[in-house]
Amino acid sequence: MIMTTVRAWLMGGAVALVLGAPLAAQTSNAERAVPRAANGKPDLSGIWVATGAIMLFEGQEAFAAARAADAAAGRPPGNTGEAPPYKPEAEAQRQYFLSRQGIDDPMARCLLTGVPRITFRPLPFEIVQLADRVIMLYEIHHAFRIIPTDGRPHPEDAEPSYLGESIGRWDGDTFVVDVTSFNTNTWLTGVGTIHTEDLRVTERYTRDSFDTIRYEVTMEDPAVLTRPWTLRETLRLRPGERIREYECIESNEDIQRFERLLQESRATERSQ
Amino acid sequence: MRRPALLLVLVSSLLAARLAAAHHSFAAYFDGQKAVTLTGEVAGVEWTNPHFHFSIDVKDEAGAVTRWRFEGFPPNMLVRQGWQRDVTLTPGATITVEGWAARSEPNAGAARWVTLADGRKLAAGPPAGTGGR
Repeated sequence: MIMTTVRAWLMGGAVALVLGAPLAAQTSNAERAVPRAANGKPDLSGIWVATGAIMLFEGQEAFAAARAADAAAGRPPGNTGEAPPYKPEAEAQRQYFLSRQGIDDPMARCLLTGVPRITFRPLPFEIVQLADRVIMLYEIHHAFRIIPTDGRPHPEDAEPSYLGESIGRWDGDTFVVDVTSFNTNTWLTGVGTIHTEDLRVTERYTRDSFDTIRYEVTMEDPAVLTRPWTLRETLRLRPGERIREYECIESNEDIQRFERLLQESRATERSQ
Repeated sequence: MRRPALLLVLVSSLLAARLAAAHHSFAAYFDGQKAVTLTGEVAGVEWTNPHFHFSIDVKDEAGAVTRWRFEGFPPNMLVRQGWQRDVTLTPGATITVEGWAARSEPNAGAARWVTLADGRKLAAGPPAGTGGR
């Protein structure tokens, strides 16, 4: 048995030596098992980007290939364009913001992007999975989330905040994050996607292959939504990537431009 | 007023159909239906966040020069696309920029591609209407 294993290993090594690097490349991540942490749960650690970012990182062809790979693997398509299920009054507000082409976007003023919008931004983020917490380090806005997984409840003194308060737990092989205590300075994702302080976000991260995480996020906010709103996206591992610096305020000319456009818009509204 | 010899190309409705709100709401300031391709001499480079800017002097057939200013990726993305600060884009070099013009500000645009004098074509900014939700 041992000899068989050794022989197989030696033969594999010989083949690899003959074929060289191309073989190593071909047998890379797609065939690798999902790594496991010491507690047996999938290890989400690594640097990831939403599939939408592949367009920017590698171009249209790679983006199309990623979407095709998702379809072949039975992963749900990201960004279906489905309208959020807003109540009429909230939907009217969203349409108003859309009509103004996004100049009211809190992100354009460099305010911290909330959950889940930060996951969909086209910059990578790193997940560091530890025994008692999961840390998410986002390139955009130098943002981070520390998500306890030791069973503690949400803190009682939580202040409303941009990224909210996150508590994590495992549901089988899926990492589930419950996020509460949001302020109202963020949009959920997309222009005009308003919410109240009662927003509750549930994120589900399932590493279904070495290279991918199925991300499913459900937003509940009965004051503005008619029902829970669920979005899905595939997060992709970026081997060799590292988190770099992205600073929003240095020369963000949108702040002045949009302020000018806002003033013009207000003046037009007053004159009507 | 002399019109600079610009290649002002209206993009097809196929591309226009894909346009939507982008990074910092592209649509509020730039016009995704006003594609421009300009060749000129690099006049300046600002390697800054959250966008880098550069300007080029574009000469028309009569020799009149118009300075265009473009906005593009932040440095973190430029480096991922193969750019090097102070090396890739240097004042005086002749480059070709493909991108989109601003809605109202004259001679301003968002850069998508830059073709360098040595023929290399590098992504300089996001496509109009993409870049996350």
